[in-house]
Amino acid sequence: MPDTTENLIAGLVADLKPVASLRKRTGMTLAVIALCAGALGMAGLFGLRPDLQARQPDPIALICAGLFLVLALASFWAVADMARPYVGVRREGWGWTALMAGVLPVAALVVMGMDWLRGEPMPLELDGGTCLRFGLGWGLLSAGVQVWWLRRGAPSRPARAGLLVGVGAGAAGIFAVSLYCPHSDLVHIGVWHGLTVIVAGLLGRIAVPRLIAW
Amino acid sequence: MVADDATLTRLAGLSQQGDKAAYAALLGAARQWLVRYYRRRVLPSQLDDLVQESLLSVHRKLASYDPARSFAPWLAAIARYRFIDHLRLVYRRAEDELNTDLYAEDPDEPAIIARISLERLFEALPAAQQRAIELVKISGLSISEASATTGQSESLIKVNIHRGIKRLAALVERG
Repeated sequence: MPDTTENLIAGLVADLKPVASLRKRTGMTLAVIALCAGALGMAGLFGLRPDLQARQPDPIALICAGLFLVLALASFWAVADMARPYVGVRREGWGWTALMAGVLPVAALVVMGMDWLRGEPMPLELDGGTCLRFGLGWGLLSAGVQVWWLRRGAPSRPARAGLLVGVGAGAAGIFAVSLYCPHSDLVHIGVWHGLTVIVAGLLGRIAVPRLIAW
Repeated sequence: MVADDATLTRLAGLSQQGDKAAYAALLGAARQWLVRYYRRRVLPSQLDDLVQESLLSVHRKLASYDPARSFAPWLAAIARYRFIDHLRLVYRRAEDELNTDLYAEDPDEPAIIARISLERLFEALPAAQQRAIELVKISGLSISEASATTGQSESLIKVNIHRGIKRLAALVERG
């Protein structure tokens, strides 16, 4: 640290080079490219669901995949803006989108609860763990891009940024998985696909803040 | 700020384009603002370091400023982040010393609370935590003296200080 603040300022001025301002749209575009890469990778490696191949998509699966896609985009948008610190800015749109997507796991739990109350409990399919793992794996693409973007900027709320990176990455990853996953029932999607976003959010909240500290 | 926000916003935009004269003026004004911001929050001995760290952050993160927005809220966000980071370091240091004290029975702990502005934050603490921090951290009483004054056990005094400081740090971070 220089002896005086005057010396420091003189040094910083001498060191000044033109810099391009971080554009929110750039951050968003990069995250969307990562999302598309994940979706294309999943479809390229494993193929599409039978109903998508037949061009007769199942409505439930389509709506659920759409919800996760919107959640991913809303989270990306908030993260892209978080690289640029600013007191007084409220970024709450993602929260409403998350609540909307949160209806899926809640609905799945309600269905399971009703089955149980009727004395006809349906066992939870454990192959959903594959969706979870693949969702988290493909989500790493989006997470990596968003962390890189945040490191270029100056996120002033690292914990919130970490959570959002995780939620966005998990939603992007599970959207990619939705293109392949043959299940169309609400319980599978709500539990396993919803869990992917929750786990990714927690992982992001834990791991990302230390990566983006400045 | 000495200069108005419109001028600073223009200077910041020019600085991003590499205009050194504008940058020197911008950093000078930012320095004045930062000194005022931190003066109420940290000890005088820590003021210069914190101002310099913030100016370095301004320099490193200049690209994160959006010239379409006002400059002051951006600088305020930088200052707030640096202040919270500073508090974390201070708190961590104090917590280490407190933890040592819990086992070593040494009542002479550094007064972390004297380092931050407390008046408003104190209102959010439970009375027992407030009292413990006031007596030990501000008035300089030993743990046993504070225990005798309040009727709380020595362990409870330590726990209340620990929890109170943790809560204060969380409040500052939120605020």
